[in-house]
Amino acid sequence: MPPFNLVIAGLIVANLVIRLGGYYLGAALPQSGPWARGLKALPGTLITALVTLQLMQGGANEWIAASAAFATAIATRSLPLTMIAGILAIYALRNWA
Amino acid sequence: MPPHLRTDLPKGVRDIMPLALGAALYGTAFGLLAAQAGMSTLQTGVMGAFVFSGSAQFVAVERLAAGAGAITALIAGIALNLRMLLMTASLRDVLADRPLWQKILGVHMTTDESWALFHATRAKGQTTSYWYLVGAGLGMWLLWLASTLAGVSFAASLPEPRALGIDFAFTAAFIAILRGMWSGNRDLAPWAVSAATVAGLNTFTPMEPSWALVIGGILGALTAAIGGKHATL
Repeated sequence: MPPFNLVIAGLIVANLVIRLGGYYLGAALPQSGPWARGLKALPGTLITALVTLQLMQGGANEWIAASAAFATAIATRSLPLTMIAGILAIYALRNWA
Repeated sequence: MPPHLRTDLPKGVRDIMPLALGAALYGTAFGLLAAQAGMSTLQTGVMGAFVFSGSAQFVAVERLAAGAGAITALIAGIALNLRMLLMTASLRDVLADRPLWQKILGVHMTTDESWALFHATRAKGQTTSYWYLVGAGLGMWLLWLASTLAGVSFAASLPEPRALGIDFAFTAAFIAILRGMWSGNRDLAPWAVSAATVAGLNTFTPMEPSWALVIGGILGALTAAIGGKHATL
């Protein structure tokens, strides 16, 4: 069983520290410039890294299904439709291809 | 009851609803994936209520489901939320004269959506009090929690998740999240550096994948820090 409780507790504490820390650091934190740009870019770059990793660990079926999900995401910008497209594609590939 | 609490709290809840309904889709997806990863209903509910941060929750749980250790899952989740430093820093004037418990409540109720609504409403010249922010956050919080738990129940009704392809849902969800984060060509170089770093580290070094992920994310963010010219938050 993965250590869910530890990670949940850690994230609760870390999130409070980050959220309160921003308030207390306040004026010391630059709202523009390189630091702000870097912090603002982090979520996108981390999730790009994550998707890259997931695809590298998958096979041809996962690549094809991810392409279907990408196309749907670009066309619709919809979370449910993208998930449905990805799941249907992987289901079809695993069962019928 | 202070006048702002009576009027602004419900106004915040009301104004956030269109955004909260959008976030509820993510909440349902998160509940589904958390159950799929082996989390209990209680764990999922506690995480939703007290971490209350969608993308960090998604990433940490995905890392655990992928077999990463607690420390790397935690670091990935924390790194994803560092940007919140800037968000609560910009709320200084709203929180300054409040007692500590109200400061804690206020910052906990700060999400991408409630923060954006607060500043958008202020930019329109309307009054934006502390309780307006809390109301907006509360609306998000209630729908986030309810939709997360609905996702857990939904997962329980699925017979054989892997046979249905639900294990791929994490990847599909992250692709959709990325699409929502794309803000134009200025993201191209940071995202490309991030992807190339992970691909290189994962191929040519024995590094644990979660560390490769964090390093890729940081190098991508550094690229944005050095290269970009747009710095508005």
